Order: sequence, then C-alpha cells, then structure tokens
Amino acid sequence: MAEKVAVVAFKLACAPDLHTTRERLVFNLTRGLFDELGIDRHAIDSFVMNSNDFLDGRTISTVFLDAPSGAYLKDETKVEMDGVHAVMYGWMRIMSGQYETALVVSLALTGSQVSPYVYTQYSLSPAYERQVGLLNELSGAALQAKAYLSRRGYSEELLDLVAAKDLELAAKNPRQIRRLENAGVERVRSSGPTYEPLRELHCYPPTDAGCVVLLASEKKAAELTDKPVWIKGFGSSIDTYFFGERDLTRSPSAADAAKRAFSMAGLTDPAREIDFAEISALYAHEEPLLAESMGLLPEGEAEKAYRAGDTRPGGSLPINPSGGSLGAHAPCVGGLMRLCEAVLQLRGEAGDLQLDGARTALVHGQDGICAQQNGVVILGV
Amino acid sequence: MEAEKLEFFNPKVPLDFQYNNRVGIGIERYLRGLGERKILGSKCPQCGKVAVPPRTVCGKCSATMGEFVEVSQEGTLENFTVGHVQLVKGQRLEKAESPYVVGLVRLDGVDSLLLARISGVDPSDLKVGMRVKAVWRDEVQGDYADLDHFQPA
Repeated sequence: MAEKVAVVAFKLACAPDLHTTRERLVFNLTRGLFDELGIDRHAIDSFVMNSNDFLDGRTISTVFLDAPSGAYLKDETKVEMDGVHAVMYGWMRIMSGQYETALVVSLALTGSQVSPYVYTQYSLSPAYERQVGLLNELSGAALQAKAYLSRRGYSEELLDLVAAKDLELAAKNPRQIRRLENAGVERVRSSGPTYEPLRELHCYPPTDAGCVVLLASEKKAAELTDKPVWIKGFGSSIDTYFFGERDLTRSPSAADAAKRAFSMAGLTDPAREIDFAEISALYAHEEPLLAESMGLLPEGEAEKAYRAGDTRPGGSLPINPSGGSLGAHAPCVGGLMRLCEAVLQLRGEAGDLQLDGARTALVHGQDGICAQQNGVVILGV
Repeated sequence: MEAEKLEFFNPKVPLDFQYNNRVGIGIERYLRGLGERKILGSKCPQCGKVAVPPRTVCGKCSATMGEFVEVSQEGTLENFTVGHVQLVKGQRLEKAESPYVVGLVRLDGVDSLLLARISGVDPSDLKVGMRVKAVWRDEVQGDYADLDHFQPA
C-alpha cells in the first residue's frame, strides 16, 4: 500500500463559453498537461473520468472522451458527482498500491451547451417535486438562505458582504470568469433579484469548465514535481433526501464530511490548524453556513466574522481567497476549481492572491439541492 | 488555460428527452386524495411522525409507514421566497411575468413541510408564522394542480 499521495499538476479552463467541443476541450487539457510534464498517456496508470451523462446529453459519455484524454485501453472509471469525489477515487486507487499515478479528467459545458440547473433539477423527486414545479436549485437556495439568516439572527446584508468579499477577490483572479470592476456591497445589492433574498450576484455564473488533475504516489511525485501538495484526509457525507424534512439552517452532512476528513488528517483543532478554506459556495449564504457546519466559524458568529474581515486574506481564517464559486462554477468541475486554487496557494503560486504561510487547506465540493452531499479534502505541504 | 476559439463549432444540435415515472403507493394515494379535496399523509407506527406527501418508510426510525391519514388543510407558513425569475422546464432562466411566492407550509399535526404556491396576498404582507389554508381549483382532477395554492386563513 502507498504511504502518501500528492496532487502533482493540473490544467484548468473556464469561460462563459469555451467555444469548443467536449472532446477538444478534454484533448487540449490532457495534451497540455502531458506536454508540460514531458510525459505521455502511458505515464498514467489509472484514469478517473468526471462528468455527468445528463450534462453531456448521452449515456456512457466517457466512450467519447476516453480517446481525446488518452484513457483508451487503460484502467478507466468514472465519477458522475463533484470532482472532489473523483480525486478521492483516484487517491484510493493509488493508495491501494496497484497504481502509481491517476489522472482525473473533469468537464461540464454549463455555460454554453446545457443549463447548469439541469444537474440539480434531475436530482429532485421525479414523481413529486419535479411535477409540482415550485422547487429548483435557485428557489431551494433562496429558501435555505432565508431559513439560515432567520435562525441565526443574521441580517440580509451578510449575503452582500459574502458576495462582495468573493467578487472583489475574483476580480483579481485570472482563472475566474466573473471579474467585475467595483465589485463591492453596493454593486451586489443593485443586481437584480432572483428568488428573494438572493440576487444575481449572490449566485454563481453559468460556466463552461474543464479540468485535469494528476495524482501520484510519493515515489512518482518526486519524479514529476518539486512542489507536491499532499492529500492528508478526505470525508464525504449526504443529507436526507426529502426537502420538506431537511433542516435547511445547517448542513449535517458537511459537518460529518469535515469531521471524517479532519480525523484522517490528524487535525484536532481544525479552525486553528487550517490556514485557509476553498469552499464550493454556489450561493452567498452557503459560504458562512458551510463554514459554520464544518467547524471553521463558531455557529452564530458568522456575520460578526465577515464584518470584522476574519474571512478575508490576512484574517484569522481566509475563506475562498480565490474568489470562490461566485466567480465561476460548473457541476463536477466545481470542487476541482477549488482544489486547483488551494494547490496554487500551497505552492506559493497564487500571484496577487497569495496568502502568507499557507500550509494546510480545506477544499470542499458539493452536489444536490442546497448542498445535499458534501465532500471535504484536506491538503498540505 | 483557455481552449482555442473555433468558430466552426458554434452550430448547436438540440437534444430533448422524455421520461415517464410510475409513482409508488404513497404518491398514488396522495394524488387520489387530491381528487377528493383531501390532503393525505402517512403516519409512522413507531414514532407517530406524519409526512406529507406520504412516504412509505419513516425517515427517522425506518419503520414502514403503512397508515395513510387525512391531515388538516390549514397550517403555518414556515418559510417563503418571492420569485422574480422562473426556470422554464427546469432549465431556461427567465424573468417572471410578475413576482410569485413559493412557500413551505407546516400543516397542523404534520411533521414535514409542504412546498406550496402562496397567493391571494401581497408578498410584502407575508410573514413567517402566519396562518394559511389550502385553496383548491374549481374542478379537481386527481393531479398536483388540484391543490392550487395556500392563502392567509
């Protein structure tokens, strides 16, 4: 069995419209990564494809993506959920000792080719919620935002503070697609309402995205990079399915996933030991809600923390120093976008967004309505 | 890294899918109930919890919820959102013709929350905790649209 697994390299592409086909996107990302590292497809022992057949509009969609990614006639498997689960899968394959390297290949053209909301819409009960027609990803998020603010006694301004913090950072990040000038509280507050209390700039922008992430054993990582970023822990958990029975004001599954990841990584005081978090917060309220549930902020203290700047770069626990999912997000790729940003931070390559002394990071990915399923990865250098 | 832009690929080929889904006994009984202007739930024999629409296994104690019970048509508005957009066919985001209210109602004696349209009231007058009652459409047909909306009681 392997001792340690590292993230050794990645390639990420995102835009409102990438103006390309799924196959060409996957080819360009994979070929680009191979050329950069001076390897070919035979250096990859195991391929973990990460897309969703509903988003691709065809079943067994990987048969079309295996050739452009170099996965044909290799060990190949697929994850249809958020990319952090694909990373977990690749990591387990290496930890088994059977493989030295695994390449995660992820994509979703939800900016130009298919609605991003399809992914969640078709997770709803086919015989009930989808027929009644009132519940969708956006109305669900709004109900959750309202329930959460009300339960914790936070003002709606917290949503603007979260979004402004994220969008100001996203504006400085060349990998984000929503890069606004003057992305402050006023700009957020003047964006159009979707479902109250959420406004357009509280919600992620539909994004075309693709990402490849190369994982390797300790031995192989030494050959491929001078800056390995180690996977220290992983946790995954899912909430109850029935919307009418969920307590929307907190996320028991994010709490559970984080607890498992902390335990595996040997973290006993995570809020202090973690230097920053990259959280897949698709809607502004999710960032404090998930941070509280995962134990990064004390429950009930989020508004105070955001007002004090605790979650900004330089604060006690920076959350989404990359600008987070409000800058760009696509299903499946979303968690990998957060992971890539964390890797850059840990390597000291985050440019204008670089934090001082970042050595341990929490990366979070989610699926389902109101973050129904959550995956947490702890990365470290 | 951004992929190179290839204008050739701009033409799009539309795809469409149609699925049918046979409902289970809980939803079947619920729909039949709607056709008689009744709201049915299922009751857990162990913890006594009542779920609407009915489900066949209790989420709390995993017991079979075999007993269907008629529940109150009045309750409390627990949560709501005013929609200014709509998601057509669950996909295309469009501006709504006029704002509308999606609510979560706790019917009296029921433990789960029911998704419902809230009408007959100015959205600015809505408050969490207010009493609401079911309003049926004129001719019930045994489908979800029978339970048209809830309005202040």
